[in-house]
Amino acid sequence: MMAGTPIRNIPVAARDTPTSIYIAPSLTAALDALNDCGAAGSPLAGGTWIMRSPIRHEPLRPHYVAIGRIAELTAIRIGSDAVEIGAAVTHAALAAALADLPEFAGLAAAAGRSANPAIRAMATIGGNLAASDFAAADCVPALLCLDAEVEISGRDGCERISLAHFLEVRSTLASGRLLTRIIVARAERRTAHIRLPLRRSGDYPVAIVSLSVRVDAANRINVARIAVGSVESSARRWPRLEAALLGRPLDAAEAARIAAELSDEFTGRDSVDAPAWYRVSVLPGLVRRAAIAALGS
Amino acid sequence: MGFNLTVNGDRLSSAADPATPLVDVLREEMHLTGAKPVCREGFCGACMVLVDGEPMPSCLLPTALANGREIETVEGLAPHGQLNRIQAALEAGDAVQCGMCFPGMVVSLTHLLTTRPDATRDDIRAALTGNICRCTGYERIVEATLLALATR
Repeated sequence: MMAGTPIRNIPVAARDTPTSIYIAPSLTAALDALNDCGAAGSPLAGGTWIMRSPIRHEPLRPHYVAIGRIAELTAIRIGSDAVEIGAAVTHAALAAALADLPEFAGLAAAAGRSANPAIRAMATIGGNLAASDFAAADCVPALLCLDAEVEISGRDGCERISLAHFLEVRSTLASGRLLTRIIVARAERRTAHIRLPLRRSGDYPVAIVSLSVRVDAANRINVARIAVGSVESSARRWPRLEAALLGRPLDAAEAARIAAELSDEFTGRDSVDAPAWYRVSVLPGLVRRAAIAALGS
Repeated sequence: MGFNLTVNGDRLSSAADPATPLVDVLREEMHLTGAKPVCREGFCGACMVLVDGEPMPSCLLPTALANGREIETVEGLAPHGQLNRIQAALEAGDAVQCGMCFPGMVVSLTHLLTTRPDATRDDIRAALTGNICRCTGYERIVEATLLALATR
């Protein structure tokens, strides 16, 4: 007999209580419905995280408000000052929209290489950011190193906060509040997103390094943003490495050497696919690859 | 509340719970057992179907969101017993394996042949990253797909 608890492959219909799904035709209708449902309700976008609740041994909510058909949430606006991404934009749509914008090469890679093609056509950017228990979300570190902001809407209006702050409060967001937009300012920068899956593709990454740098005329780094995903329970910036790179040329080997010196600040998470120490140990190599990719962008 | 689906051209209805994965409705209510609920995580691709022409793991699609949409399962890809181009190439190339992953492979590759007639070997492998084989690997499948692309 095998040790451990096998995953039970049971259909949802065999589970406890019925679930309602309201397909909201507009943002106003969605916010009204979420407000009315209170703590019993939750938004449902691509469904690729929520529909896996049973295999995580988590109950489904009694009520879901489907937001995937709301026009303003599925739009991407590429302006001269900023890119605004609706929360229900899929990974595939985002990758396609950013394909010709070199400054967003990192985000395009995050959206375009995560999971597999069918999942990328379903999974949304908003879901990726809002799933607080999903440590391996690709777009979170990619957007952290772009200093992204997010718009949170409710029936009483909306507010804009930094993505970093949103990550801190997302699991306690009040009922009726909905992540509606992601806003990234345009800037001259080189970006890269490097992920290490166990297979070449299709798996969750063991670790992720996203990088965004700006270099001066002498090719020295004057702005550095580096974010690490999948190593700890939530993605976060790596401020000590960012500070150490300032004023230096963008050099992959040097960046990896410094990363090796500083990587002990991460406490990896253990899981069946990779032990904690391994997630941390691969970081210098991923930093090196990210720097090489940024040099080529 | 019931749901109306068009499955392989037939208009069918279901009274399933709205959150029931489409794969369970297809198998348990409509007795279309080609799509297999294996990982239920969207990783393996054994439950792949076409929804409005796009490949989708039916384990992750709540039936409520399939309402009013066109579903095509592997059973619908060979109407009147006439194999489609990829099915014929897979048979000719002796690429057919145990049957667990294969319906999903056929669905994904049917879409690839429709949308990417110029697909390369790398494109084929990329298109199959969401279809995991547990038998002998992918080479014969890739070769058969290249054959199908070449015999348009």
